Amino acid sequence: MSYLKALNLRQAVALLRGNPGRIRVVAGATDLSLQEMPQVALDITALPETTGLETADGFFSLGAALTHSEIANSHPVRHKATALTEACASIGSPQIRNVGTLGGNVINAAPAADAAVALVALGAGAVMINLEGKTREEAVEDLYAGFNQTIIDSGSEIMLKLVIRPCAANEGSSFERFASRKALALPMVNGAARVEVVDGFFRSVRLVLAPINPAPTRLLNLEEKLQGAPVTEETYKKIETEAAAEVEVRASLLRCTAQYRSHLIGVLAARVVRKAAERALERK
Amino acid sequence: MDNQEVVFTLNEELVRVYADPAESLLTVLRDKLGLFGTKVGCGRGECGACTVLLDDQPVNSCLIPFGKVEGRRIETIENLSRGEEYHPIQKAFVEKGAVQCGFCSPGMIMSAHALLKTNPQPSLQEIKTAISGNLCRCTGYKQIEEAIASAAEKKSRR
Ligand SMILES: Cc1cc2nc3c(=O)[nH]c(=O)nc-3n(C[C@H](O)[C@H](O)[C@H](O)COP(=O)(O)OP(=O)(O)OC[C@H]3O[C@@H](n4cnc5c(N)ncnc54)[C@H](O)[C@@H]3O)c2cc1C
Ligand code: FES
Ligand code: FES
Repeated sequence: MSYLKALNLRQAVALLRGNPGRIRVVAGATDLSLQEMPQVALDITALPETTGLETADGFFSLGAALTHSEIANSHPVRHKATALTEACASIGSPQIRNVGTLGGNVINAAPAADAAVALVALGAGAVMINLEGKTREEAVEDLYAGFNQTIIDSGSEIMLKLVIRPCAANEGSSFERFASRKALALPMVNGAARVEVVDGFFRSVRLVLAPINPAPTRLLNLEEKLQGAPVTEETYKKIETEAAAEVEVRASLLRCTAQYRSHLIGVLAARVVRKAAERALERK
Repeated sequence: MDNQEVVFTLNEELVRVYADPAESLLTVLRDKLGLFGTKVGCGRGECGACTVLLDDQPVNSCLIPFGKVEGRRIETIENLSRGEEYHPIQKAFVEKGAVQCGFCSPGMIMSAHALLKTNPQPSLQEIKTAISGNLCRCTGYKQIEEAIASAAEKKSRR
């Protein structure tokens, strides 16, 4: 086995090209160390392209190799993409957050990956570079290919960054999870929302819950119903009672029954929309 | 497996170690370098017994492929005491009864050490969060929290 640390992007792409079938991109290795390390590991955590955190053309550009701690400690992210701060701060433990990365969380594709749930609610995009040095952008929600699988081939592609449109003054976002402990416990249910409020009414809502499907799941019917709904207790009640209706909820042998999970989906869906709306109203 | 040379700073000294880069940092510290202070618990990131500092941040050494430490700074529990002289955090753990079987202590102390480096006067909540990745089967955590608070207080008084 060899472990290579790429010092610049051009070298990283050349190493990928030179080791077909044997090489794999590694970031924090918190997931990969527990799976199987590749014959050739390409560590991409020292590249400027994967570790920047900046605002460019009105978008947040977050390096895919930023750690959960780095994201959780970023003031601009906390201010205008709060759901992501809350998600990253809830992952595992301080030790895990200090090494686990944003990109790794998406590509490992655990069905209730916390950061991924927040990214989908925020409508984030992901930028990848391939062997020819060409980049492409995909919506995070379109990256999933099945259970624990994305369409990204980490043997021939590097995720460089995630892009998010920051919340405007009348927008807010929120993330919550329900787990048996506050640390080192995977969530029974997690959820995130991004809302836009105009004159006391929801103009748009993105509402994501997991684990339901292999990918973080948007409650599309409910999102549509909420368009134009008033920001009232009644609306929250409706979210709570209707959220679980449009999805098939599975039991988890380790974590909870399907019935309990359905209940939690309703409760968390209403909570994240409420919190996001409160933030949208506070910011004005 | 193929060994690789990895140069890094270990407890303030530059070292050069030949080892399998896919091996965990934990295994290399204990089996190659004879530093047994760092404990092996779960081997999967869930107990914190193996906590060391990587560039001043607490990490689970069981999950760090050794190749990753190239050029980085590692600090282990062995760096804390000066010979017979215990580190203030270690003293506080003894004074407050924060050690029972002691298996979690090196990891707990490293998490506390990392906290106090960046936040010399932490709140109780900050202390709790800082050790939330460290499992203790004996003490019930209360004495550990007190020990860290007391070490912080003594440090700020000095
Ligand atoms: C004890 C423990 C607790 C955890 N708790 C949680 C939790 O509460 N919530 C949660 O969501 N997750 C949790 N995780 C999972 C994990 O820590 C996260 O998913 C983390 O974000 C993975 O990032 P990484 O950088 O360590 O990924 P790695 O292990 O480095 O990589 C994961 C996968 O992504 C690929 N990859 C990584 N980066 C790139 C890139 N830039 N381009 C192309 N491919 C890439 C790798 O090839 C690999 O297939 C936990 C893990 C452990 C061990
Ligand atoms: S041995 Fe590393 S976390 Fe348990
Ligand atoms: S003192 Fe025994 S595990 Fe903490």
